[in-house]
Amino acid sequence: MEPADLKAAQAGTLESMDCLVTITGPVEGRVIEISGNAAARFKTAMERRINDVLDGFGNSPTDIKVGVQDNGALDIVLGARVEAAYARYIGRAGR
Amino acid sequence: MMERNAVKREIPSRIDGYGYTSEKLFEGAFARRPSGCHAGPRIRAAVPGVGSKLAGGVHEAIMASGLKSGMTISFHHHLRNGDYVVNQVIQACAELGISDLTIFPTALFDVHKAIIPYIKSGVVGRIMGSVNGAIGKLVSEGGLDAPVVLRSHGGRPRAVISGDVHIDVAFIAAPTADRAGNISGQMGRSACGSIGYAFTDAQNADVVVAITDNLQSYPISPVSIPGVHVDLVAVTDSIGDPAGIVSGTTRVTRDPMRLLIAKYASRLIEASPYFMVGISFQTGAGGIPLAVTAFMKEAMKRRDIRGSFGLGGITGYFVDLMKEGLVQKLMDVQSFDLDAVHSIASDPNHIEISADWYANPWNCGAAVNMLDVVILGATEVDVDFNANVNTEADGALLHGIGGHQDTAAGAKLTIIAQPLMRGRIPCVVDRVHTVTTPGEVVDALVTEFGVTINPQRKDLADACAEFAASRDIPLVPIDELAERARRMSGPMEPIRVSDRVVAVVEWRDGTVIDVIRQLEK
Repeated sequence: MEPADLKAAQAGTLESMDCLVTITGPVEGRVIEISGNAAARFKTAMERRINDVLDGFGNSPTDIKVGVQDNGALDIVLGARVEAAYARYIGRAGR
Repeated sequence: MMERNAVKREIPSRIDGYGYTSEKLFEGAFARRPSGCHAGPRIRAAVPGVGSKLAGGVHEAIMASGLKSGMTISFHHHLRNGDYVVNQVIQACAELGISDLTIFPTALFDVHKAIIPYIKSGVVGRIMGSVNGAIGKLVSEGGLDAPVVLRSHGGRPRAVISGDVHIDVAFIAAPTADRAGNISGQMGRSACGSIGYAFTDAQNADVVVAITDNLQSYPISPVSIPGVHVDLVAVTDSIGDPAGIVSGTTRVTRDPMRLLIAKYASRLIEASPYFMVGISFQTGAGGIPLAVTAFMKEAMKRRDIRGSFGLGGITGYFVDLMKEGLVQKLMDVQSFDLDAVHSIASDPNHIEISADWYANPWNCGAAVNMLDVVILGATEVDVDFNANVNTEADGALLHGIGGHQDTAAGAKLTIIAQPLMRGRIPCVVDRVHTVTTPGEVVDALVTEFGVTINPQRKDLADACAEFAASRDIPLVPIDELAERARRMSGPMEPIRVSDRVVAVVEWRDGTVIDVIRQLEK
């Protein structure tokens, strides 16, 4: 992979009850990395929501890494941030 | 084998490094009564004109104290995150080849992570006392062989006086001392105000060592701990960093949600039968409790009510209340900021009290018994009103008990005030991970959704119902609160722990109210 092919997009903030989602690629498959205090008790739910949102884009996006720096976002916020970040990643939305 | 205590916790009948528990399971907040006589220290006698207490530095004092491997040494935490004494003593013990020590601090702070290498090398074999931050994390992951024993501010002096814990050598950080071992916390560049947690140690240790960076001529005045208890005086360059000892000013929260919680709590107090001339209260130094104090001040002025005393850890906020005549006295076991330090040194109505006087359940009446209202926090509260202040959402041991149990048990109205969620993590749950304080002594929970009264306190519910009509206090049942939190957060995954007990949580009477188990990697 040439460095020129690397892409990245972000959505969200590090404010309390929000999260910062960073999508980078291309990588092999679909990689999800979550950090933050809530991950200890909500990791499964968070991963499920991230996958659901991405799958909602139709072509079941792969070859991306989704990094979530969580600061207590509820599911609905996490989903919105992932959707915005991926839309930016594929160039469908502005920043 | 497992036993079940009165708050329905499974407690192993024998805990490695702690002992058998069947005779000391928690039975209820006021169930266990003492018997027998006080334990006590070795009797010593100083002969006039013979010898000197001035030992030199920390090393020399440790050698003179007769401290040996395997013994128990104690510390107090009035120098908080600025303390140098614990680290100096442990390092000196390591250099002197002393190991397998049991340390019995009132609390350890982040600054004490410097002793972690000495835990790993076996200089420190066991900790009996509050552990915060990095050492708490080490304990949670199984870094110590024997379990940490957590005791409240009142449970600790009870354990010493009743003989549960015998202190071989007490090290007392002394902001000012003289050559006869008289100690005060009120003067000197490391002044910390009250040194109330150290009194019981000074009275009950076999050997007492004062460590000072401000040796003054005999006799100093005022004296907090008289030299009659003190064997040795060590002089060192500095016992602490003033910036870590006292904070400049403690601030009221500006977060609108927290202000709303404080407002509800203050209305609850105003609605209660305790809001009358002579009211006494304790609110501590957190953002919400300070805001409650500010709202109460307003209400007291409006209804011309003058209180009797403020208790506990004292802040400048309480000093101002006294100056304005809204409370008559302050009873101070720990002075949190510079204003409190200056006040205790200059105002006779600002009284220094020991931890025994403050909170011990087994004496002829601790100050907490005289308390009308206390505002507390908690990391979690459950539908039975049990409160957890020891473990975090991930199950790690990160906080001590402080005066939580003692004030909750002593006060006529115990309020836990905190937001329903911390980020995504619910603070009201079906079952707390660790019971620190049993629901039977928690009277009300206040969140941004309103006031939740413990159904056992029907009198309080009635008092509020009347008030609620005219003054807009939303009353929310506990189940509804837990359900609301669950809906917002989604289902939580369980905390994965092993069977190994890393900490024992004692109720203030010495019974086991809960245990904390090692986290699975």
